[in-house]
Amino acid sequence: MKIDTAEHSDYMVVSIAGEIDMYSSPALRDTMLSMVKKNVATVIVNLKDVKYIDSSGIATFVEALKKMLAYKGKLKMAQVPDRVMEIFNFSKLDKVFDIYGSLEDAAKS
Amino acid sequence: MDNPIVITIPSHPKYLAVVRAAALLAAEICGLGAAEAEDIKHAVDEACSNVIKYAYKCDCTRKITVKFEDTQESFQVTIEDSGNKARLEDIKIRELDEVRPGGLGIHFIKKAFHIVAFDKKKRNGNRLLLTRYKNTDEAALSK
Repeated sequence: MKIDTAEHSDYMVVSIAGEIDMYSSPALRDTMLSMVKKNVATVIVNLKDVKYIDSSGIATFVEALKKMLAYKGKLKMAQVPDRVMEIFNFSKLDKVFDIYGSLEDAAKS
Repeated sequence: MDNPIVITIPSHPKYLAVVRAAALLAAEICGLGAAEAEDIKHAVDEACSNVIKYAYKCDCTRKITVKFEDTQESFQVTIEDSGNKARLEDIKIRELDEVRPGGLGIHFIKKAFHIVAFDKKKRNGNRLLLTRYKNTDEAALSK
């Protein structure tokens, strides 16, 4: 798994590529929690190149979301691949995360 | 597929990718569709992650053996370890409506397989038996 972060004027983008599993999710958790620690107002997670996500990856996003909501931050998911979306739907997380078709839509909303 | 396919991995999370690849291919070879094979891959990954977390308490120096079998009626996966005894009822689980980190793995396992059970005859360690029926009528009967 590869993680890139990009800082914009009023939001940050976390782009993830590869597979998110029990092996790689601790690195993702470190990235997400570092943003929580800085109270970043809006984080957009670009999932376009994610090939797989397991329950530990989902748990990482849920944990980050809960911590961000505590300071009224926003966690947005963008460009979610079909298979990852199926997993979000099954886990009923499609109703919890703000999901956007593009980074532009996520940034504008 | 020539039966069975057996792989053994060290109980380190970095080897879960090997199990996922094997599970996907084995499911495809035995004739399951793409979506079903993806569900199988995900379920086997979650089950092996549970072995590392619960049976081996994150000790990465142990072994996990995964066996894939194709029968006329079903696709079966057996996951064996030599760790602490596990019971399905002890594995952390949450309602899907309850949004909190953790507790989802068993849902993915039950989504992919019609029968999920530990072999009570195994004395030391665990043997998880997973069965997916190919015929939906048999699957309905198993419920």
